[in-house]
Amino acid sequence: MGYAIRTENLIKRYKDKTAVAGLTLTVNEGELIALLGVNGAGKTTTVKMLTCLTKPTEGRAEIMGCDVVKDSENVKRLVGVSPQDTSVAENLTVKENLEFMADICLPKEKSAAAVEKTIKAFSLEEFKDKKAKLLSGGYKRKLSIAMAIIGDPKVLFLDEPTLGLDVLARRQLWREIEALKKNMTIILTTHYMEEAQALADRIVIMNEGKVMAIGTLEELENMTGRKGLEDVFISIAEKTA
Amino acid sequence: MKRTMAFAKRNLIEVFRDPLSWIFCIAFPIVMLIIMSIVNSAIPKEAGNTLFRIDNLAGGIAIFGQMFIMLFTAIAVAKDRSGAFLTRLYSSPMKSGDFVWGYILPMLLTAVIQVIVSLVAAVVISLISDYSLSIAGLLLAVVAVIPSALMFSSIGFLFGTFFNEKAAPGLCSIIISLGAMIGGIWFDVEGVGGFMYKLGRCLPFLYATKLARAAITLNFGVKEFLLPLGVVVFAAIVLTVLAGIVFNSRMRADQR
Repeated sequence: MGYAIRTENLIKRYKDKTAVAGLTLTVNEGELIALLGVNGAGKTTTVKMLTCLTKPTEGRAEIMGCDVVKDSENVKRLVGVSPQDTSVAENLTVKENLEFMADICLPKEKSAAAVEKTIKAFSLEEFKDKKAKLLSGGYKRKLSIAMAIIGDPKVLFLDEPTLGLDVLARRQLWREIEALKKNMTIILTTHYMEEAQALADRIVIMNEGKVMAIGTLEELENMTGRKGLEDVFISIAEKTA
Repeated sequence: MKRTMAFAKRNLIEVFRDPLSWIFCIAFPIVMLIIMSIVNSAIPKEAGNTLFRIDNLAGGIAIFGQMFIMLFTAIAVAKDRSGAFLTRLYSSPMKSGDFVWGYILPMLLTAVIQVIVSLVAAVVISLISDYSLSIAGLLLAVVAVIPSALMFSSIGFLFGTFFNEKAAPGLCSIIISLGAMIGGIWFDVEGVGGFMYKLGRCLPFLYATKLARAAITLNFGVKEFLLPLGVVVFAAIVLTVLAGIVFNSRMRADQR
């Protein structure tokens, strides 16, 4: 199994603030990695650099062997992004939103089949003719993720996918994400411990732009001598405070 | 091209599903056409004011309507920029040209529909007021106002790229008021003369109005048709290229 993502000393500075301070990370193909941290930890900036939305100040990053700066056109064909804010076309129906993304990301002959497949995979049949602005928060997020995967990306970035959702909608979305794990590499940012614990193969704990720890839950528990991700996180956060 | 058309289709649907588009882009120009025709009928013939006669009015209203296309382009771009929708598209294989034409093409189509509706309404009014309009002139006008539609869409695009969702519509409203005044839609700027006319000659709005009126009356004079056509086409090309450059640099700035 090869690497889906490799970063070496990735740094992002905004004037006097360092948002990401030397991220070195390797993600295997098919892995689900959770970037865990409080607000301002550098999770979203990391996702932005890896999806060509912002350029690194220093260091390098590759997606499936393609450099995010020098080969951004290819990187954009390889990734799917579901941004933190719900990013759907409000006046378009669910089906029209998916058709739009399929037309952008896929050859014409594959679009229609991809739309039908995605509607089915995300159980959106009942809502496919409903305007996006009329969907509940949970279904909007579901649609946002469906739009991110319709182009059949190799690497999927989910930035705080369940932020602000109620517990039922969150659990439902977890099931959708679980189902996607088989087909692609996923980078998920979250500040919900239970989300990282439930979904991730490995967890990256970030604080103030730095990676504080990387590993499976078991490895992190052994590292800190604590049980459960919340205690592990607190232990690491307190050490670095 | 495929991505441009996909984005254009999305923007066209957004425009057509917004009731305000119908009110401002279609209904409002017709209402103005009717009101100003009533005003015209109240002006005594001895006054010699032909500005609101249907052949002059129809051209002015066609350009006035296009100013609202500018407003809607600005709102569409600014609204998308304020949300995360463009963030998603920036990380897709779409290029800056796909964005620029994806916004402008549906607005051009809307502008063509708008001018056809306005001119059909003008024909109805001309029949009622017993003044005959040339069908050839009306058909020519539909084509002749396309460069000004491109020009207004590009101005709207620039406003939407530079300013946010709150500022862009306000600034466009200033352009609409200013453009309608110095563009000679509601009064004879040439007759007024002075600073107003000088300013009008420096900006493309007056030429756009002149061109539309000349097309309707099949007046192919240099001053009436050819010069305004040249100015409007030049302004449309410059503003569209500028819109592309500005959007591209904004995209790059966002990625810093």
